[in-house]
Amino acid sequence: MTAPTTSTTTLRAEYLDRLAASDEEGAIAVALTALDAGLDVEDVLLDVVAGAQREVGERWAAGTWTVVQEHIATHISERVVSAVTRHRPADPPTGVGRIAVACLDGEWHALPARLLAEVLARHGWEVTFLGSSVPAAQLAVHLHETGPDVVAVSSSLPSRLPAARRMVEACRASGVPIVAGGAAFGPAGEWATAVGADGWAPDARAAAALLAGTLPRRDDGRVDDASREEESLLRTRRPELVAWLAARVRAGYGTDPLSDDQLTDDLGHLVDFLAAAVYVDDPGLLARFVRWVGTVAVPGGLTREELRPAVDDLAARLADSPRTATLLRSEPVQEACSGTGVA
Amino acid sequence: MLAGLTEAVLVTGPVHPGGEEIVHAANPAAARLLPGLVVGTVVADAGYDALTDALVRARPGFEAEIDGRVLAARAVRLDEDGAVVDALTCWYLRDVTEERRGSASLVRAQARAQFLAEAGRALHGVLHLDRTLRTAVSLAAGVLAPTVLVMLADGSDTVRWARADGGESRPHTGELTRTALRSAPRLHEALVGRAPVDPWVTVELAELPVWNERPAGEVVVVPVPGALVQGVLVLVGPAADADALPLGEEYAVRVGTALSAAALYREQAHLGHVLQASLEPPPLPSDTAGGLLVGSAYRPARESLRVGGDFYEVLPRTDAGRTPFLLGDVCGKGIEAAVLSGRVRQSLHALRLVEQDPATLLRLLNVALLDAADLDAPGTPGAAVAMPRFATMVLGDAAGLPDGGSRLRLATGGHPPPYVLRADGRVEEVDVAGSLVGALRDAEVGAAEVVLAPGDTCLLYSDGVTEARGGPTGRDFYGEERLEAALAGCVGAPPQVICERVLQLLGGWLGGRDHDDVALLALQAPTGRRA
Repeated sequence: MTAPTTSTTTLRAEYLDRLAASDEEGAIAVALTALDAGLDVEDVLLDVVAGAQREVGERWAAGTWTVVQEHIATHISERVVSAVTRHRPADPPTGVGRIAVACLDGEWHALPARLLAEVLARHGWEVTFLGSSVPAAQLAVHLHETGPDVVAVSSSLPSRLPAARRMVEACRASGVPIVAGGAAFGPAGEWATAVGADGWAPDARAAAALLAGTLPRRDDGRVDDASREEESLLRTRRPELVAWLAARVRAGYGTDPLSDDQLTDDLGHLVDFLAAAVYVDDPGLLARFVRWVGTVAVPGGLTREELRPAVDDLAARLADSPRTATLLRSEPVQEACSGTGVA
Repeated sequence: MLAGLTEAVLVTGPVHPGGEEIVHAANPAAARLLPGLVVGTVVADAGYDALTDALVRARPGFEAEIDGRVLAARAVRLDEDGAVVDALTCWYLRDVTEERRGSASLVRAQARAQFLAEAGRALHGVLHLDRTLRTAVSLAAGVLAPTVLVMLADGSDTVRWARADGGESRPHTGELTRTALRSAPRLHEALVGRAPVDPWVTVELAELPVWNERPAGEVVVVPVPGALVQGVLVLVGPAADADALPLGEEYAVRVGTALSAAALYREQAHLGHVLQASLEPPPLPSDTAGGLLVGSAYRPARESLRVGGDFYEVLPRTDAGRTPFLLGDVCGKGIEAAVLSGRVRQSLHALRLVEQDPATLLRLLNVALLDAADLDAPGTPGAAVAMPRFATMVLGDAAGLPDGGSRLRLATGGHPPPYVLRADGRVEEVDVAGSLVGALRDAEVGAAEVVLAPGDTCLLYSDGVTEARGGPTGRDFYGEERLEAALAGCVGAPPQVICERVLQLLGGWLGGRDHDDVALLALQAPTGRRA
């Protein structure tokens, strides 16, 4: 047997093989062997486990893995994180402060937040991990009961931004600063600023660095009355809009378009992302989603060709909501529908 | 003519065209305000810079402090209307000292009111004792005094303190034990509200280990009143102005109310926590009969509660080598439903000591619930809250088989029948039904046996799954068909993943709408390799 490697690239490939084989014990062995070979816990968690999970997400988007395979892989990675922390427990907190880590309401992928919690614990923080899909009310209760120094929220879905705003409001009411992370907050964290978060970090390492300094109190973001009104209208009209769009998009197919759960799911997402884009007043948010739909291969889902009519139909139907209609007709969204523009 | 005016009037003009400005006339009122001016002398020589400056620059007036009084002057050029001598200026002077002093104190009073209002908001946004304490010192440091300390006695053996030094971002906190306070008896009396603050308190305070460096300069101690907690607010360093003490007292009252509210909340929250912890689904055991794999998922309707009317549990393997399990639903929601679910689980724990057969157990539980409900009959205290009385459930146990499979004994009352997901992807509904538990003395209990081959999964669920209203129209039930399809798509997944997948699909179906409690429990006979 050759000496165990500490190359994270090699380890990530080995780990991914174990995930592909649904081999929990094998995946745990890869992680623990790497630790024993001298690789740092943070590197195992972020470069091997999180790195492989990113690849899993890409395989799902490319249609080579099913959603259940993705779930199984995530489940195994959760077990691996537990095994790693049992194998190398974090030192006791050093008194840098207390932090609550939570996923936004509606975000069921807890793994990135859990990895962040583990990393912060290794930077001396006393961490409370609140788990996946934490409603703002539950966070408010936690703030009153345990009084953390700072809150970190994570989400990969920009459609959860209104939920992020409710969390920001809960934190402001208690005077606790809040930092945001994950793809939900935009490629450069612009939507974290929009919802009024006090800081943003692209990944767990950056979050640890951000939290090591003092957080400047940011301004209150740019969520205004128009954001709230038009977002709430879209949320209320979501069922009606989805049903109407489904009938328009798949007219003449002979089947009841409403019975096609994959299509109605995707149209629901389209309305959710539109609502989020309106909420932070950024056409770029919807444009990114439209481009992403064009690259994903899910059987029965919304296709690239169906996107433009859907977007144009929505613009006509929502003419009474000025920001929404302007956003749907904006250049970035229209370009994304034609498959041009920067990916 | 000018002598009779109460308003001060002064006339200036050049001694000759283009010459130096001299005083042409000044009435007695003007002479009182500017005694240095003598008629016929050069204005600049009197040394009133504001007046000289205004003259030179031909300003329309000035306001300046002269000899301790604030004077406001308005200039009128007498040549402007063309009637009189060239380049004469008439000055109307007014003593505005009192007016200005009044508005300056008004500005200060407004600033004070604003500080107190903002402090009130910030203090009451927090219901956590330590955070309130830290907020209290951070807000006041640099406003009431350069350094601010608050000490707090909450009836326990220790005294909490927080100190903020103006300019530093984070306050310092700590605890003093009763022993440490022995050297400060007067302070201790003042802290618990038994004696007023006297000068000795200040002396004792200086010796306590709550300072970065010994307090220098003025030290003011203000009592912090409160119903549940008491303390003192200590202001160190030169006060900002004469109003600092009354402002400090006002502030201390607000700090006291906020701290008491936080202390009360802490007591209530502790009570809630203990109750909630006893009602939450217990963690799943790892030691099960025949290595049975288990997974679960739970979403209460009221999510800030984290408990609800659905309940499940899997118990550790019994001496007889069986793994008992249970999933049920109390008719009702929220904390009242959770209390009944706790009663059901406790009753079963006791009944299991004497009976293991699931169907017999369920019949006994039915009687136990009916008897307990009779005790809750109207007339007993607390009956004002309509307590839920009925429940539906599936309970059973699992025993390992030699081939690695598992034999389940199931009993059900009024509950949706479980599903079995076979390793090859077929989904079967278990044919078992019974009547509501806790409703009728001669309730009908359904019983069934299910054999799980290696890789087969049995899913128990509550009607919160199938009766979730959502979908494209927002009005449709999720329904059995969708649940069966979701299950069929989970072939090869471990039981925890199956539960999470169903919950996720359900979340998508609900699209953020309200829902009933949802509980899922999956039992899987292991295959050769764990996944």
